[in-house]
This record gives sequence, structure tokens and C-alpha cells, in this order.
Amino acid sequence: MLEIRNLHAAIGGKEILKGIDLTVPSGQVHAIMGPNGSGKSTLSYVLSGREGYEVTQGTVTLNGQDLLALNTEQRAAAGVFLAMQYPVEIPGVTNMNFLKTALNAVRKSRGQSELDAMQMLKLLRGKASAIGLSDDMLKRAVNVGFSGGEKKRNEILQMAVLEPALCLLDETDSGLDIDALKIVSDGVNALRAPDRSMVVITHYQRLLDYIKPDAVHVLAFGKIRKSGGPELAHELEARGYADFAGEAA
Amino acid sequence: MTLAAAIERSKRNREDWKYTDLPALLARRAQNAPMPITALPATANDDARLVFVNGIFHPAQSRFGSIPSCILMGDERSGYKLTLGEHTCLVAQPVELVFTTDESATDEIDINLSIDIGANGRLTLLERHLPSRAFSTIDINVTLHESAKFVHGKMTSGGAHIARTNVNVARGGYYSHFGLTRGGLPMRHDIDVHLMDEQAQAALHGVMLLRGGDHADITTRIAHNAPHGVSRQMFKTVLGDKSRGVFQGKIYVAPHAQKTDGHQISRALLLSDSAEMDAKPELEIYADDVKCSHGSTIGDLDADALFYLRARGLSETQARALLIDAFTGEVIDDIPVPAWRDLFRADMEGWQS
Ligand SMILES: Nc1ncnc2c1ncn2[C@@H]1O[C@H](COP(=O)(O)OP(=O)(O)OP(=O)(O)O)[C@@H](O)[C@H]1O
Ligand SMILES: [Mg+2]
Repeated sequence: MLEIRNLHAAIGGKEILKGIDLTVPSGQVHAIMGPNGSGKSTLSYVLSGREGYEVTQGTVTLNGQDLLALNTEQRAAAGVFLAMQYPVEIPGVTNMNFLKTALNAVRKSRGQSELDAMQMLKLLRGKASAIGLSDDMLKRAVNVGFSGGEKKRNEILQMAVLEPALCLLDETDSGLDIDALKIVSDGVNALRAPDRSMVVITHYQRLLDYIKPDAVHVLAFGKIRKSGGPELAHELEARGYADFAGEAA
Repeated sequence: MTLAAAIERSKRNREDWKYTDLPALLARRAQNAPMPITALPATANDDARLVFVNGIFHPAQSRFGSIPSCILMGDERSGYKLTLGEHTCLVAQPVELVFTTDESATDEIDINLSIDIGANGRLTLLERHLPSRAFSTIDINVTLHESAKFVHGKMTSGGAHIARTNVNVARGGYYSHFGLTRGGLPMRHDIDVHLMDEQAQAALHGVMLLRGGDHADITTRIAHNAPHGVSRQMFKTVLGDKSRGVFQGKIYVAPHAQKTDGHQISRALLLSDSAEMDAKPELEIYADDVKCSHGSTIGDLDADALFYLRARGLSETQARALLIDAFTGEVIDDIPVPAWRDLFRADMEGWQS
């Protein structure tokens, strides 16, 4: 379970998150929607411990563990996974080597044995083909020259490989064609599990037809302004965020 | 070449040595702790290995494998000469020259070596300098006759090292160089390649790994003296702490050397704010129908990439090492001798830890 209490965070002295309260029980999927620049990506970076994001107030725990006390890689080991809005290209590092190093690093810090080359290859190939990525994509440099959709699939592949306790998906649906959206959603749904919390950040109600959320939240001007069931996404689709514009102060 | 001669040369030729103040660097070195004397590293049994102790060829420690022992002649006073006859091919059996020192080493060790490869000969040779407290100079003169091919590896492991590699390449000959410079105070390597006839080619590749107070300088000059010559240069420098790296690369194209194809690139990765890289590419072109280019970049480790890797569970050390490997990989992956690739990688791992 993810519990965020009164979370305030600033970038370069400018407050972006202004008191977020959010609870995502294990086994649930929560969607976060909200206008551009409202702080959605900021929240996902703060949760994953990116440098330059200063938490000024509040607490965040994952299954009781204080996340804010951990650095980025410790959070990854504790089960935090962020599928990024803009996945990073890493020339010279093959996807295979990247996934291998990441999985073994995480396994090691979770007290599990590292996988040998054969076990690793088998696992990675299996998970890659499930998400529609060819062996060829595993041999290429991480995200380099990948299309927008391929990058997003690659994020889901990493998620499937690392089996996190908390999945944060930041606009994983943007840039996906209809078929890819279906494949990625299937990938995400396959990862729904009783011991896993998911936060899906999106601008489009359509994604939520595929990944059915247990709750929908509106993040505007640095705060959760409204929460509801899946029907809230339909309301937003119809009315936009005009209702929240007055709450900036 | 002696130390005195090197200092003299650096004073005479200030422009060429503008980033490497030899006397000042040597003075700094005096305050440094002496280097350990290292044991000979293990190697595959059948490899030919010629060992030089304190600059003197040491037959008892050497092994010729399947190559004829007459390949090496000369002595430390007149200089050594390595000769490969026409059509002789030593590709399958790389030769390793190991330079080491023992307790009786003098402060300065000067080595002269000439390498002569007959027409259509093929040589693969690794020049490996083990850590030493001595100041070492090494002058290598290479002659490649028609269509001869030489793959020349060079590994240095810090200390004071002044080297000059002068290469003459005849028609259709090919000189390929892979250097791994691990530290140095100071290290200076001049590589001069003269492409003397048509279709002569040279490819120079180097990785410099510098940290602490290291200072290393690689200065190359490729002279295209005939038409249809090809040259490629790729140098990668990783700098930590207060180290300083220098790459000066000159491509010269003579007036009649039409259809020359010469490219040069230097990339540096600064791991610390106090490190410094000086890159000075130079094109001197007198022919009009040529394809020549140079490029140079100096940058930090990509912060987004570091975060991405750490967000996937890699420790900061692991993430940095992976990115540094990726950076140097462009050179290392091109090494045609698998054993050298492993050796270079192992050496780099040692450097990072
Ligand atoms: N590095 C930064 N420096 C300064 N301001 C920043 C930085 N990163 C984000 N911001 C600001 O923080 C605010 C929130 O940005 P964020 O990326 O979290 O929005 P978002 O809700 O994800 O928007 P979108 O829907 O467009 O992805 C914006 O006003 C943005 O300009
Ligand atoms: Mg965003």
C-alpha cells in the first residue's frame, strides 16, 4: 500500500506539490488525471527519488516503509518503479545488458540470488515477446532509435522484469497507436496483483477502458482536488478541468 | 630519446607542447610516492611474449611460442629491431612485448625499437608497460612495406612515460593502433604516421583513463603524402579528480594527395569539475579533392541517464561504471584481438574501482 500524506515538494525553490494526500491500497489501480503542468510528473519523480526535487513537508510510505529516507536505487529495491513519460536513451548500453544488470541489482538487494546468463536470457526473451518486443530490440542500445511506442513498451518490459510493489505509469499511453495501447494495457493488466499498487497518470479516458482503475483522482495546481470512481474520468472527458481553475489559490 | 632530449624538444617546440609543461610536471612527480614493482601478469601459455626488464631484453623470462627467435635482434645500446619477412603472418599468434622493472632499475630507462614488416607481412603486437617507478621513454620506428599490415596495441599503467611512435606506410599498407592509457604523470605519446604511397591506411584509436593528478597527452600527426590514403582516428578520454588530458591531432594532406579520406574524433567525459581536457584538432590541407573532418566533444555523465539507471536499481557506482563503459566501448569493441579486448576491459575495471 502506498500512503502519501500532506506531501509538499519544490523544484529550485518553487513549490510544485502543495500538500498531496493519496492512498493506493495493495491490489488497486488508481488513475491520476489533471491539466498540463499540474505536477503529475513531479509527483512521480518525487516518489522515485530524483535529485533536484526537494520535499519540504509530508510523508510517503510503501507497505509501511518510509520512502523519503531512501535514495533512488534503494527505492527501486524497495519496489518503486516509474515508467517514464520520456524514457531516456542510453547509447552504448544494450537493452539486454541494462535489463540484466538492473534485475540482478534489484534481486541482490532484495536478498535473492542473481540469475545466470542462461536463466536471464530465457526470462528476458519470454517477457519481451509477451510485450511484443523482438530479440533484436534486446540487442539494441537502450531506447536509442526506438519509436515512441517502442520506448513505452520497453518501459513496460522493464516493469515486468523487475516485478515492483509500486508501479507508477506516467503517460504510458501517449504516443501509442491503438494496437500498441492494447498490448501495453494487457501487459499492465497482467501485472495487476494483490501485493502490487499501481498509479496510472493519463490524459485520456480511453486508457482506463483497458486498464480499469479502482479510483480516479484529479491533480490540479499541486493538490488532489477531487477523487471518485471510474465515472470521474468520463466527467472530466466531457467537462475538462475548468471546474478546478478557481482552486489555484 | 632520453629524458633530457624530450625536455629539450618540448622547449624547442612550445606550440606542440603547449598543454604539457614537461619540466613542471616532472617536478610535481618528484613529490609522488614511488610506484610498486609488479610481477609479470599471467598470460595464455602459448602466446609469444618478449620481456624487457629495465629496458633490457630478458630471454629467460621470454617465450617465443611458435615464432622464430631471430625475429628480435639488437641490444639496449644500439636499439632493438624486430623484423618480419615478406609474406610472414603473425596474426594468429599475437606477440606481446612486456616492459617491466626490478629493484636494480635506474631512474631513467630509454628504449629504442624498430619494427620492420616486409611486403604482405602481418603482425599483431601488444606493447605493454607495467607500472614502474622509473621514468621511461620509448621510441618506436615502424616501417610497413607494400601491403604490410600491423595491428599495434599499447597499454601504459601510469608513471612517467614519454613515447614516440613513428610509422611509415608504403603502398597498400595498413597501420592500426589501439592505445589504453591508464594514468600517467606525465604521459606523452606522439604518434606520427606517414602514408607514403597510394592506398596506404592508418587507424588510430585510444582510450585514456585519468584521475588524481594524472596528466596525459596524446599528440598525433597523420601525413597523407600520396593519393587515395585513408586515415581514421577515435580517441576517448575519461577524466576524474584533478586530472588533465590533452589530445592534439593533426591531419596533413600534401598537394598531390588527392582523394584523401581522413577523419578524426576526440571525445572526453569529465567526471569532476576540477578535471580538464584540452583538445586541439588541426587540418592542414593542400589538396583540393579530399574528404577530411575532425570533431571534438567534452561533456559530463548524462544526469538523466544516471537517474534512469538508478531508478532501475543500479547503484550510483554501477550506473556510472556502465555509462563509462558505454563511452569507451566505441573504441574497445573495435579491437580485433579478443584477448586484448578482455585485457583492456579488465584494466579499466581495475581503474574504476
Ligand atoms: N526542472 C524544473 N525546473 C523548473 N520547473 C519545473 C521543472 N520541472 C517541472 N517544472 C514545473 O513544474 C510544474 C509541474 O510540471 P510537471 O512536469 O510535474 O507537470 P505534469 O502535470 O506532468 O504536466 P504534463 O501533463 O504536461 O506532463 C510545471 O509548471 C513545470 O514547468
Ligand atoms: Mg508529465
